[in-house]
Amino acid sequence: MIGVNQWLRVVILAVVLGCASQANAEPYLAAQMGLKCVQCHVNPTGGGMRTVFGNAFAQTQLAAKKIGGDDDLWTGQVMKFLSVGGNARANYTYVDVPDQDATNEFEMEEARAYLDFGVIPNRLSVYIDQRFAPGNSTNMEANVRYWIKENAFYVKAGRMYLPFGYRLEDDNAFVRQVSGINMQTPDEGVEFGMEQGNWSTQLALSNGSGGGPENDKGKQVAARVEFVQSAWRVGASALFNDTDAGNRSGAGLFGAYRAGVFTLLGEVDYIDDDSIGVNGRKLMASLVEADWKIRQGHNLQLAFEWLEPNDDVDEDEQTRASVLYEWSPIQFVQLRTGVRLYDGIPQNDNQNRTQAFVQLHGFF
Amino acid sequence: MSAQTSNFMGRQGFFVVPLLLALAGCAGNGEGLDENGQPIPITPPANTDFAEIQATIFTPICTNCHIGANAPQGLRLDEANSYALLVNVASGEVPALMRVNPGNPDASYLVQKLQGNNAVGARMPFGGPYLAQDRIDLVRRWISAGAPAAATPPNQLKVASTIPGSTEVAPLGTSKLTVIFAGDVDASLATRETFGLRNGFDELVPLAGVSVPAGRPNVVELTLAQPLPQGTYQLEVRAEGPVALADNAGHVLDGDADGKAGGDFLMSFDVAAGETK
Repeated sequence: MIGVNQWLRVVILAVVLGCASQANAEPYLAAQMGLKCVQCHVNPTGGGMRTVFGNAFAQTQLAAKKIGGDDDLWTGQVMKFLSVGGNARANYTYVDVPDQDATNEFEMEEARAYLDFGVIPNRLSVYIDQRFAPGNSTNMEANVRYWIKENAFYVKAGRMYLPFGYRLEDDNAFVRQVSGINMQTPDEGVEFGMEQGNWSTQLALSNGSGGGPENDKGKQVAARVEFVQSAWRVGASALFNDTDAGNRSGAGLFGAYRAGVFTLLGEVDYIDDDSIGVNGRKLMASLVEADWKIRQGHNLQLAFEWLEPNDDVDEDEQTRASVLYEWSPIQFVQLRTGVRLYDGIPQNDNQNRTQAFVQLHGFF
Repeated sequence: MSAQTSNFMGRQGFFVVPLLLALAGCAGNGEGLDENGQPIPITPPANTDFAEIQATIFTPICTNCHIGANAPQGLRLDEANSYALLVNVASGEVPALMRVNPGNPDASYLVQKLQGNNAVGARMPFGGPYLAQDRIDLVRRWISAGAPAAATPPNQLKVASTIPGSTEVAPLGTSKLTVIFAGDVDASLATRETFGLRNGFDELVPLAGVSVPAGRPNVVELTLAQPLPQGTYQLEVRAEGPVALADNAGHVLDGDADGKAGGDFLMSFDVAAGETK
């Protein structure tokens, strides 16, 4: 068995070598550490199951305190060819919509389990992401991933999340709504990727049906390229969806900058969707997020988002400002609390709501 | 203030402030817009349950995500598409359930998703706030009443949607077509004379039956004599000639949607292997 110090050496070595030995989709963590998504996630574009590295990071770097002995590090590997993981988020949410009674409730946001069968170690894997709650069980991802050239290139086929911008945990973020690519809309197709040096690139060809059954002959192409340095990163995304209802194209830029304990992330996306209405619609969204790592296990996040739902209509823009505090007291546990202030046109109460939440997040 | 903090707020702020200004913006003041962020229409919307559902639920809330070519599960809930993609359409997540099963709200996936029971995945609207009970009751009431389409002007009968839909690809072996009208149809006129299907060679495809299902007077079902092979087909609903389809009050179908009675309704679709609708 190996101890924490040895694990730290593995972590440092992995960073130095940039190797793809592969915590939940929170891009600020990658930006804080100067790492690619693939460092901590089995999915090269982030989110879902954590790698050995990701699990080690969660225990030694993310948590304020590690409970248990040095030999008790969880790697995710339960047997030689099988790794497991999971996420569970339980929320208490308070919502105040103008001119309506405020509501509050407990809810299970999600419970997911991940399985990764590494049938040919570091080469061929079969990956499954199954959501068990809320509601009935449903598959979110199921794909085969094959790495070549010492983990420099890969091809992935099956049901997957598509590459576009930052893979945020919050699927309600405006940039994820506008792009239509988030962790609620996996699609079926094939993805080619390159993880070489400072570059992380992906190209995906999929049905383009938002996770529903294919309903036309056209397909969607989504691409993402990111250049990662230790203190900053910059990337671009593009998509084109050929549908009978009309074509949908989009592009986005994203980047991050780290200065000491502060990390700043930004993304801006533009979508031209001919399938909406008679004349189509042009949409735009942006995100600016600042994270302050107060000390290990404590993170304060401020975010501001802007949404232009229809470029042809004036004075319909919406904004969302968020303040979140994340406390990771021990390994694999996070207590998250935050307030989100929505601001939109005064005629629409829903666009001017205030939401507050407390979330217990368990993961492994 | 720590050295790192002052460093960030000072020298680095040179980069941060312009970036914030570039990416941030303000909310609109809503001048000249309705509650859905659209220019105020000259004519008010029709006052029916479905029109109210569209105006108060689908458009202002659901279309934040359910719009355009990348709508989750292919479900577009904008005004032009919502009815056709909901009523008598199988759910993507639970294909055994219709999204809206006319007359049966409890067996409608839409209601289950809004109530958050027995459904797959998150309760809708995703991330909340969830609909007030009176809004859910409105949806239930509309479905219980047979899920009629939004009102059309008096003295008009129109096609609301079809299954398969226009330009869609139906699976091989399709043996039934459904036409949903915005109004009740005179069942005595729903015959092989008013409904027809042609193949790519402009030949009539034999129909085994044309019927108005019990309890759904705004729906006509066409049963085919044989499952459809691969090809392109055109569905016809006739409003011209000796026998024209009409409603119970005798209002002839406005098939070409020109606002006047008359004009055949023509709709093309494909049948192909490996495709589903």
